Amino acid sequence: MTTPTHMVELRDVQMQFEEKKVLDDFSLKVEPRERLVIMGQSGSGKSTILRLILGTLRPNSGTIFFKDSEITRLQRRKLQAVRQHMGMVYQYSALLSSRNVHSNVALPLEELTDKSRDEIDKIVDEKLDLVGMKDSKELLPEELSGGMRKRVALARALVLEPELILLDEPSAGLDPVIASVINELIISLSDTAKVTSITVTHEMDSAFRIGTRMAMLYQGKIIEEAEAEKFKQSKNPVVAQFLSGSTEGPILEGSLDAITKK
Amino acid sequence: MANAHAQPPVLVAQGIGHLSRNFLREVGGVFWFIVNTFQETFERIQKGRVPFRATSFFRHTQRAGVDSVPLAGLVSFFLGLTMALLTGYQLQRFGTERLIPGLVAIGFTRELGPLLTGIMLAARIGAAYTAELGTMQVSEEVEAIEAMGIGPLRFLVAPRMLALVLLMPCLSTVSNIAAIFASSLVCKAYFSIAFPYFLDLVKDSLLIRDIITGILKSFLFGLLISAIACYRGLTVKGGAAGVGTATTSSVVTAITAVIGFDTLYNVVYTTFYPI
Ligand SMILES: Nc1ncnc2c1ncn2[C@@H]1O[C@H](COP(=O)(O)OP(=O)(O)OP(=O)(O)O)[C@@H](O)[C@H]1O
Ligand SMILES: [Mg+2]
Repeated sequence: MTTPTHMVELRDVQMQFEEKKVLDDFSLKVEPRERLVIMGQSGSGKSTILRLILGTLRPNSGTIFFKDSEITRLQRRKLQAVRQHMGMVYQYSALLSSRNVHSNVALPLEELTDKSRDEIDKIVDEKLDLVGMKDSKELLPEELSGGMRKRVALARALVLEPELILLDEPSAGLDPVIASVINELIISLSDTAKVTSITVTHEMDSAFRIGTRMAMLYQGKIIEEAEAEKFKQSKNPVVAQFLSGSTEGPILEGSLDAITKK
Repeated sequence: MANAHAQPPVLVAQGIGHLSRNFLREVGGVFWFIVNTFQETFERIQKGRVPFRATSFFRHTQRAGVDSVPLAGLVSFFLGLTMALLTGYQLQRFGTERLIPGLVAIGFTRELGPLLTGIMLAARIGAAYTAELGTMQVSEEVEAIEAMGIGPLRFLVAPRMLALVLLMPCLSTVSNIAAIFASSLVCKAYFSIAFPYFLDLVKDSLLIRDIITGILKSFLFGLLISAIACYRGLTVKGGAAGVGTATTSSVVTAITAVIGFDTLYNVVYTTFYPI
């Protein structure tokens, strides 16, 4: 078997929760420094893909690579080492509720590096500044709004200078200005820091702003995958319907009839 | 269901089989949980790093240990009082009241001290551990910790486990002292045994062996309670209701396990070291 030179590769992945098949012979390649955007219906398995790449979920079959490491075969120790090169922003932020903003962001540095207190404080301030959260350092997660939590989660994901960053709906719940700031941040990360990113989002504006390549997940497979401009022109009826947000088309066929019948 | 028409004895047998399989699976689960926690912690130490912060450890010892002193002390005090009174009147009939100090001292150091403390801590600290870790599990915090490359077992479980294992013997000692003190009061008030004489009687009857047995038991109970509580917490499923169920189950399981292991320990001990 050839070792891939991609940043991330999923090969023939099957993922099933009890009876429900979520991913079915799913394959995906992500090149270094690329900004891939994954779109798909709610419940189609986008978050599941990110979890599989992180190795917090194991697929029923298939292989997943992060650079040269086969995530699906790694032992705990190696897997922990590999994960330090990835940053993940969870859909619901997943901040540690007992720690304030500062120590949430400082956690990976405290636990995984030998940096001194001062160095850690400096890095934390810098990352919080990037997401515009420097003034809320002492607050607890429960004292933040959803969008503020998202931004703290992004700062936490960036703190170890990851090579790959996984973003689960980063701009959901943000106002248009902050959303643009976050978009520009993601773009500048790949331009200046050579970070590869995989973003899951429903928001078309940010999707087309961020993405160098788009992928559409439908019924367990990638049904369309193209550069942003080509993707917009896609002839695929599912993609066309998804992009236009129309009720006419193969997605949820028949549910509108059910509504009008009532 | 396939067994809808099965005979009652078959159903009973199936039920027993099902229960014992679940029981074995749980025992195996907790066992491997302890093994994995040790492994993860030692891997970390091998890399030349502290497995967890001292502040995190001391926060848990404060909560599990120092804050439990009043409860353990008070309950044991009352129990020591009752025990001395009840046995005292029985022994008085044979004119052997001077056996009371030894009875209470041996009874508590070997048996009741660790057992009572175990039951109280299972309810007080075990429940807190399960609820805390369970809530972190359902709000994806545990997964986020894992995703950062931090081992959740050594980061979350190891400090809690160590705190409880180290503090159980201390709390058992508090419990023993409270009970013996209470019985000395009873001895003085009802059976005219003065305090110095009381102490002599305790010293004469209490063996080092009894003390060591009690301490060993305490360590074991601390490990059991913390392992069961953390295991239940990290395996929570089903949101807030799941955390509730897991917490109840954690307390029930831990108390049963403590009493079960205590019995087992006593049987083994008295078989190999009679008297
Ligand atoms: N732990 C789990 N146990 C059982 N089923 C699950 C689990 N996690 C996800 N699923 C199922 O897998 C499917 C995909 O879930 P996933 O969270 O990946 O969707 P998604 O594409 O991220 O949706 P959304 O856009 O709404 O966040 C869903 O239908 C869900 O019911
Ligand atoms: Mg999702």
